[in-house]
Amino acid sequence: MTHVSLKDLTKVYPGSKVPSLDRLSLEIPTGELTALLGPSGCGKTTTMKMIAGLLTPTSGDVTFDDRSILREKPEHRGVVMVFQNYLLFPYMSVADNIGFGLKMRKVDKAEIDRRVGEILDLVKLPDLGKRRPSELSGGQQQRVALARALIVQPKVLLLDEPLSNLDAHLRFEMRDLIRSLQQEMGITTIFVTHDQEEAVVLADKVALILEGRLCQYDQADVFYKRPANEAVARFFGGQNFIAGQSTGAAFDSPLGQLTLPQGAIAGKGTLTFRPENVKIGEGQSNSLNATLEDRIYLGTQTRLRLRVGDTMIEAIANPDEVGGFDVGGPVPIHLPPQTLWVLQ
Amino acid sequence: MSDRLKIFLLLAPALTAIIVLFMGGLGIGLARSLNYMPVIGLVDPNFDAYWTVFTSQEFYLSFLLTFHISFTSTVLSSVLAIGAALLLRRQFIGRAIINFLFQLNLTVPHLVGAIGILYLFSQSGSFARLAAEWGMISRPGDFPALVFDPYAIGIILQYVWKEVPFIGVILLANMQALGEDYESVARSLGANRWQAFRHVLLPLIFPGLLSASVMVFAFTFGAYEIPAILGPNYPAALPVLAYRKYTDVDLEARPEAMAMAIIIALLSALMIFFYVRISRRNIRS
Ligand SMILES: Nc1ncnc2c1ncn2[C@@H]1O[C@H](COP(=O)(O)OP(=O)(O)OP(=O)(O)O)[C@@H](O)[C@H]1O
Ligand SMILES: [Mg+2]
Repeated sequence: MTHVSLKDLTKVYPGSKVPSLDRLSLEIPTGELTALLGPSGCGKTTTMKMIAGLLTPTSGDVTFDDRSILREKPEHRGVVMVFQNYLLFPYMSVADNIGFGLKMRKVDKAEIDRRVGEILDLVKLPDLGKRRPSELSGGQQQRVALARALIVQPKVLLLDEPLSNLDAHLRFEMRDLIRSLQQEMGITTIFVTHDQEEAVVLADKVALILEGRLCQYDQADVFYKRPANEAVARFFGGQNFIAGQSTGAAFDSPLGQLTLPQGAIAGKGTLTFRPENVKIGEGQSNSLNATLEDRIYLGTQTRLRLRVGDTMIEAIANPDEVGGFDVGGPVPIHLPPQTLWVLQ
Repeated sequence: MSDRLKIFLLLAPALTAIIVLFMGGLGIGLARSLNYMPVIGLVDPNFDAYWTVFTSQEFYLSFLLTFHISFTSTVLSSVLAIGAALLLRRQFIGRAIINFLFQLNLTVPHLVGAIGILYLFSQSGSFARLAAEWGMISRPGDFPALVFDPYAIGIILQYVWKEVPFIGVILLANMQALGEDYESVARSLGANRWQAFRHVLLPLIFPGLLSASVMVFAFTFGAYEIPAILGPNYPAALPVLAYRKYTDVDLEARPEAMAMAIIIALLSALMIFFYVRISRRNIRS
């Protein structure tokens, strides 16, 4: 049961001028699963290694339950990190790999065997204890890596892209496994991914990092409804950004005057709305006449490129809804006010 | 053409050279050691030469000395090479220069190194004179015997000086290819520094260490020049003893020299076999 907090955590690698991680501050509540989300190279692994004590921060602090742990050696922190590429010890059997942490703690052999057996069942790999890691599939290796971490009952579990090397089916299975084990054991878990969907499905809270800086730290749905800035919105699949002037109640833009939801900010800003929130047909407010420029059929949905005046709008609609419209012809649309969001 | 045949044909020239030179030489040596040499009318092979070798006390003393030289040199070089590789894989200022200096003596021939050691460490050498001049010893002759000494310190010094970079370079390449993540995993799972080295890094670099140290062992066990220059006269190292017999004015000693050469070859093969078995069992369990 550990509350983790990062305070202005910064890392500048030797020989590099720009920080790979720039003043990251996060509060990760006890027993929660937090996702660190960001594109490749944004500093996710760097952050994890600093929490685990495998890398020394340039500045800033990491505390567990309000106590700084920077001076503690990695083996005394109670943090276990599962690496992106599993890193099972190739010369050991699966069982020895899993028992490694207990062996280092000088737990006796019989006890290790018993617990390895238990955890192999837990990750659904009974009977594979005697194999070498090279004789396992990617998904099985991933589960061994997870078992090797869980067996030492860490206070904090760090998972670096645990699902990225798995195919879609296994990914699904592992996702559920991680979620259920984490909740069962109540381990404070930080989980790295560059896939927003994965973050949303798994995490209690998501921290989005872009270029070494924290952009937004919120519950998953907030990133869709109220993104902090254009970069955040774009990372989550936002495509519509329209500059204009807000009065707080309405937004003046090339699209005309649009009604805003309550509590919108006033002043110069950028209006954003998600492609799936562009509704086909007349509405009670914010109705527009668009021209259909292009259409891509994606199976369960259809992507539309629409033009209103000189402004392009991206929309996603149900294929049945838009089957009757021709490319080049008019399409009536509306933008429900509660789906609009103004960025400063 | 099947892949196997292709590989065989591609290897054929090299294999031929190896078989003709190595097996041929070994075959002739073996024949000679058995007193078999039809050209001069010796057509009844016998084990007389081996008998003579095995009943002489000098042979056993020589074997002990040679084993001591090889074993000590191999162990010392391996341990120092691991230490050197561990230091050199870290990032520090001036690493490139240190790395270059470290590998520099790979290019120096053994013979040159041995002569250097002779000049520096013998009782009439530079260190002896310096020590006498500074009053640490009353005269150069009091300098501890590091050359021509019964413990073969000079020889071992020379081998270690030469082989540490050899093993070190192999291990360093090995470690750099592995990266540090395996040890990081171990640390995060609760291993301390030593445990991460002992249970993770060492087993990972073990195959490289094993081949390099086997090469060092085989070389130091069979090499002639260094013990000839820096070694004691009696007992002499096995290769030196064999060479002496071979160049003996008494032609009768020739089969004995050959027998000794064959024994040296068999012994190194045998010792390497046990070395590999024992170390494998201990490092990777
Ligand atoms: N040892 C290092 N020395 C110098 N720079 C490094 C080192 N490790 C990482 N970096 C740099 O720091 C930045 C962040 O790296 P990091 O590995 O944390 O990214 P990441 O978010 O985990 O990316 P990915 O999703 O690809 O794993 C990158 O720009 C990378 O080039
Ligand atoms: Mg990474």
